[in-house]
Parts: sequence; structure tokens; C-alpha cells
Amino acid sequence: MTAAVTLDTPLATRRRRGGWLGKVPYVVIGLYVLVGLVGPLLLDYDPVHTPLEDRLLSPGSTTADGGTAWLGTDDLGRDVLAQIVYGARTSVLIGVATVGVASVVGLLLGAVAGYARGWLDAVLARIFDVLLAFPAILLAIVIAGAFQRSVLLVVVALSATAWISFARVTRSVALSLRERAWVDAARVLGVPQRSILWRHILPFTAGPIVALATLEFALVVLAEAGLSFLGIGLPSSTVSWGQTIANGKAYLETAWWISTLPGIALSLLIINVGILGDQLTARYGRGRRDA
Amino acid sequence: MTRFRGRRLATTVAAAAALLLAACSTTSGGDDTADAGDSGEATGGDIVAAGTYPIESLDPHGAQGASTGTQFAGQAIFSRLVRPSADGSLVGDLAAEWTANADVTQWTFTLRDDATFSDGEPVTAEDVVASFDRMIALDGPNAGNFPEYTMTSASDTEVTITSPVPDAAVPGKLLIFYVIPAGVAPDDTAFFTAPVGSGPFTVGAFTPGDSLELAPNESYWGDVPQVDTVTVRNIPELSARLTALRTGEVDVVWGIPDDQLGALQGEDTLTVETVQSTAVYTMWFNSSIPALTTPEVRRALWQAVDFETIISTLYPETGELADAPVSPLVLGHSPQEPVGFDPEAAQAALTAAGFDFSQTLRLQFANAEFRPFIQAVVSDLAEIGVTVEPLEKEQAVFTEDLLALNWDVNFQQLATPTYDAASNLGRLYTCAAGRNGYCNPELDALLAAASATSDEAERTDLYGQASEIIWRDAVGMYPMAVSLAYAWNSDLDGFTPDPSGLPDFSKVTVSGS
Repeated sequence: MTAAVTLDTPLATRRRRGGWLGKVPYVVIGLYVLVGLVGPLLLDYDPVHTPLEDRLLSPGSTTADGGTAWLGTDDLGRDVLAQIVYGARTSVLIGVATVGVASVVGLLLGAVAGYARGWLDAVLARIFDVLLAFPAILLAIVIAGAFQRSVLLVVVALSATAWISFARVTRSVALSLRERAWVDAARVLGVPQRSILWRHILPFTAGPIVALATLEFALVVLAEAGLSFLGIGLPSSTVSWGQTIANGKAYLETAWWISTLPGIALSLLIINVGILGDQLTARYGRGRRDA
Repeated sequence: MTRFRGRRLATTVAAAAALLLAACSTTSGGDDTADAGDSGEATGGDIVAAGTYPIESLDPHGAQGASTGTQFAGQAIFSRLVRPSADGSLVGDLAAEWTANADVTQWTFTLRDDATFSDGEPVTAEDVVASFDRMIALDGPNAGNFPEYTMTSASDTEVTITSPVPDAAVPGKLLIFYVIPAGVAPDDTAFFTAPVGSGPFTVGAFTPGDSLELAPNESYWGDVPQVDTVTVRNIPELSARLTALRTGEVDVVWGIPDDQLGALQGEDTLTVETVQSTAVYTMWFNSSIPALTTPEVRRALWQAVDFETIISTLYPETGELADAPVSPLVLGHSPQEPVGFDPEAAQAALTAAGFDFSQTLRLQFANAEFRPFIQAVVSDLAEIGVTVEPLEKEQAVFTEDLLALNWDVNFQQLATPTYDAASNLGRLYTCAAGRNGYCNPELDALLAAASATSDEAERTDLYGQASEIIWRDAVGMYPMAVSLAYAWNSDLDGFTPDPSGLPDFSKVTVSGS
């Protein structure tokens, strides 16, 4: 390869390298969403029903009622495959809800801080910094542990710290955007502050926020599994990967499938969302636009 | 700039994952630090045990006095007036003999004269009375067994305990009363860093919540233990505990769940045994709520659960269908007619009694180890259309709600550490106690009568009649009598599994090491 060629085709090589490998995360995440949406319609699962005669069956065994436990059963005879499918729905739901709440809160506060500057920015930015100094998972454990277990509580506990990174990213983007020519122009034309923020600043934060949201999504799913594993997350009537993994902890030697299979499902999702997040950051992340 | 942000976020992901893992493993964090040090190298006679509960305090009279860990330590370091024998009957420890007066309000204990503390001083009646007063002054959980009781000494070898009402269960209650030297102030915590006791062992080293190292008490008045040291370590994580047993890092483990027993039974170097305990799975109904007021409803709910199948699948080794509200080891045990599994009859009885199937019953319990059992019960009740919501509570919250009757069904593994039905039936089922909303004057009269005689046969008969009422009216469900599973290194000779989970190491020797 000559120097001239490499200089001419950076865009092309990047796209080709992305190629089909780059699409893997989209496909995998799409599969999870599909399983979360459609799976529960096809598979029947009742966490309350415990067919004890089927307990600790290995993957592929036949259950007492003639069905097949493709991924085995847990210590109360409940199907592991169904738990993974229902758990996917829980995880995706909580991930989306938490990231939704966190990004809206973060976006608003960050944009206001960055655009307003002055004392308001100083106060808000210091609040972000102070909260950032808190270990996120510990704060979530404290909040989740203090109240009755519920899905809403988990979303609140995880959002409590997740919004800060959104706020910081939005603030830094807004800080530079407010000096751009079109914002100046709008200001000179007498467009109200609120409209400038809404029409001329916020739309441009979308790229970095989407990239950040995917990474946060991975963190949230992991944190939810962690909380449920510790027994302070979702109520036991809600199926969650964290709970299934925790249930199988005592059976790692004799019935490895209870913890291992949901663990693999969790890791696959986290890794793929992480890769997707990196790709999005590379494409839309802050600074790329100006280059 | 972009790359920097991406990488930093990736680092955040990794850091959060690491934190999460750290958070998940905190329960087993003590493993490495609690390594038994040099105990494996001495010339035989070192035992390392890993129990089920941590030892937080050595003060047997204090706030931790009723906890299993402190009881275990107390039994090794101190002496009691009486102690239980293998079949649950009482034998003398410091006391040589004891008698009650005619109306059972006074018990007189004659002390043996050869007992000494580890510092060589003799154990006198003065020490016993001072210890009793200290326990009452500290007002810990054990003091609750002796409301307005007093102890006096008539001579150096005789103490008398006086109760305000007839109480035949005094000797049993004294099983959790330990004697320390007179002159230790209630708030003297320094004493317990190197306590002086009259038990078979003295304290070598103690880290609260982590490990306790015991050395033989050379001036013990009984047979001085043969071993060099006994170290009790706290390994909260079950799998870590069992791995330590298999690798030989610890010699004795108890409280092993059924599903783990199979793997241990296959090991040549281990002896696995189960022993009947004093505990019974007790599931009280809250008789004070409208839905559960009638005995027919409570009994129907009991009938609706297939406890036989649940026990044979979940607890094939350590559980058997209970036949009375108290364990067979307990004085006052009297077998009752089994309540069979009959969901159709149960449903019919509930319908006939006008039971509201749309309500949700709250079933509270406190420990994750019972979750599978609770879920299986909930599953069976759901089959006949009764909705039960399992509520797993933190221990302190559980106790508070238990006393406040803030539950519809309550699950407890109820042990009777005094081996006497008085502290179970007699204490918990009276109208005055108000522990489960059930009140029956006839039952109260029987329990009072059982408390007012020291004749064991008569007491057993009276508690048998009381049990019949409790069983018939289904004050609670009594599904399972619990056994404790022990596994120990076959090198240990003379190890006897203890029904209360408080094994005695004073007679154990180590061979072949």
C-alpha cells in the first residue's frame, strides 16, 4: 500500500472494517429485544409455581409433564430457559426506563447549566461533581435497601446516580455550542432564551447523549443484576437474571446451569451493548463533528 | 478527545463491574484473613471448625447472650448449673443435684465442691449469685426468662432461685445461664478479652465476628481436653465453607443443606451424620385477623400444602414430618394425628367457611435459606386459589413485625434451647403472650398447670393435652422437625453432633495427624 492510497481511503477502510463484524452488536441486541418482547408470549412461566419433582434437572432433560427443559431446571423445578427469557424482558425494561429517566434529568440540568453559565452553572456543576464522588453502586444499595422492593424503586435507585454523566456531557456540549454563530445570531434576533435552548442547543447534544446512553444502559443492566443478586433489587415475583444467578450459587458444583446460563446471557448483552456504545461514541461523540 | 472519552467510559464500566463483584463477595470476605495460621503444624490436636453463625461477643449475659455464636463460646469457656445430655434430659454441670419445693416456686441447687475457675479460684455460690444478678442487671435476651426471679445463696455450695409464680421449667431455663467469677461489673468489657471461666477451654485469641481460638483449661475440674487448640472460624459463604472442609482447611462443618450432603458423603475422609434438633418449622397463623379467626380456615390452609412431598424433595436428609408443635427431644413432646394433604377438602372447607379468595395473605420470614421452602408452600396454596405473598425481611425488621403481629402467616424455625416445652408452648401460646393472636382460656389453664408441677410425667401429659388443642385448632402449621447435618474429618475421634448446633470439643481427640 502506498502512502497516497492510505491517505485517500481512511473513510472507506473504516467502513469496511466495520463491515459485518460491526453489525454483530446490532443483531445481538436486536435478538435480546425480540426475545424480551416475543419470548414471554411463546413460553409460559409462573415464578410462583414450583414443580418440585422436576428440581435440578440437567439441560435437555424431560420434565414430569412430558416437556423438555432445554436449559435445565432450578432448585424448585422451574425452567431456566423461561427464566432467562423473562429475565431479558426485565433487564431491558429496567435498562430503558432508568436510562430514560436519567437522560431526561441529566439533559435538562446539563443544558441549563451549560447555557446559563454564571452562578447557576457554578452551583449545578459543583452539585454534579459532589454526586460524582459518590460510589454509584453503594448509593443504589442504600436507596434500594431502605425501602420495600419494587421495580420502580430499582429504577429510582439506579437513576439516582446515572443522570450525572448525562448532565456533565450535556453541560460541556452546551458550553461550546452557546458560542457558535447560529446561537449568537438567534440571540441577536431576539429569540427567547428558552427557544434557543430548545431549538438551537438541545438537538445538537443528541449524538453524544445516544452514545452515552448505550454505555449507561450496559451499566444499569449490570447494576440491576447486582442488586437482585444481593437480594435488595426486584421483588421475588419478578424474574431477574441477578436473582436466578444468586439462586444457583449454592449449586455451582452440582447444577452449574442455574447460574452459568443466565450469567452468559447477561455477559453477552453487556459486551455487545458496550461495543455498540463504543461505535456510537466514535461516530457521534463530542469533537468528531468538528473534525 | 473522542477516544479519550470512550476509554474513560470503558474504564468506568470495568470499575463498576469490579465494585459490583466486590459488593457481591463481601459476605465471604473473611476467608483469607481468618486463615488458621499455624494451627495445622502443631503435633496433633488442632481442630478448626466453621460454624453457621459468627461469634460476636463472649459475654453470655449481654445483648448477644442468646445468639448461637455466644452460646457456643459460653459453653466452651464457662460452666452452667445444668447441661443437656444427648437425649435432651438434664444432667448436672456445676450443680450436683437440684430439688424444687412443694409449690414449685423455689429451686435449690447444690453445687459440686471441686469446681474451679481457670485462675485456680474455687467456684462458690457467691459467684453463681453474682452471675445471676449480672445477667438480670444487663437485661439481655436471656434475662427475659427470669422476670422478677431472685437468686440467693444459703451456703458456699447451695443456691436458691425463687420465682414469683410456680415455674417447673427453671432447670431448663438455666441451660443458657453461665457462671463467671463474682466481681465482674455489668459493663466490664475488658474481662471478656481474656475471660476467666470454669469451662473446659480458655480463650487463646478472639476476633469478634471472625474467629475464636480456644486452648484447654489446664485447671478444669473435669477431664482436661486432649487437643492443643480449637479454632472456630466464621465462613459465612456456604460453598467456601464446604470447600474448606474438603481441602482439610477446616475439620468440622455443620448446618449443611441437603443438596450439598450428597457430594460430602462421597468423600472417604469425611464422616457425615445428621442429628435430630430441638427445632420445628413453625408457621403461625395470625388468628387476630378476620380472615384467619376460625380454626376451620386455618386447618384447611394446612391441609392444602403437600408438606410430605416438599420435605422429601427439599429436605430428604434433614427433615421429617413433624408430629407435634415441639421436637421429640423436648420435654412435653406428645405425638399428634398427622394432618393429611387434601387440596379438594381444603378448598371445600374454605368455601364453606366463606373464605375470601381475592385477598392476599402476607407470609413473613427472615432468612434466605428458607426461601425455597416458602416458595414451595406458596405454590401449593396458589393451586387452591389462595394468594400468599412471601415477604423476606431483614432479621431486625422481622422481629419487630413479629411482635407487632404485622403479618398473616409467620414462618420461623423455632428451636427450644431449654429442652422444655415451657419455654415454647408455655411462653408463646398464652392469651397474655399475644404472640399469634390466638387466645383460649382452656389452653391457658393447661399451660399454667404444667408449669406448677415438677413431676415430669404429669407435665408431659399436660403439655400433651395443650399440644392437642394447638394442633386441632391449627394455631399454626407445624410441617417439619429439623435435623442438623454435620460433616467432620474422620481423623477426629469422639466427636458427637449436637442437637442445638453447639458441638462440644472437650472430648474430641485427633488421630493420625
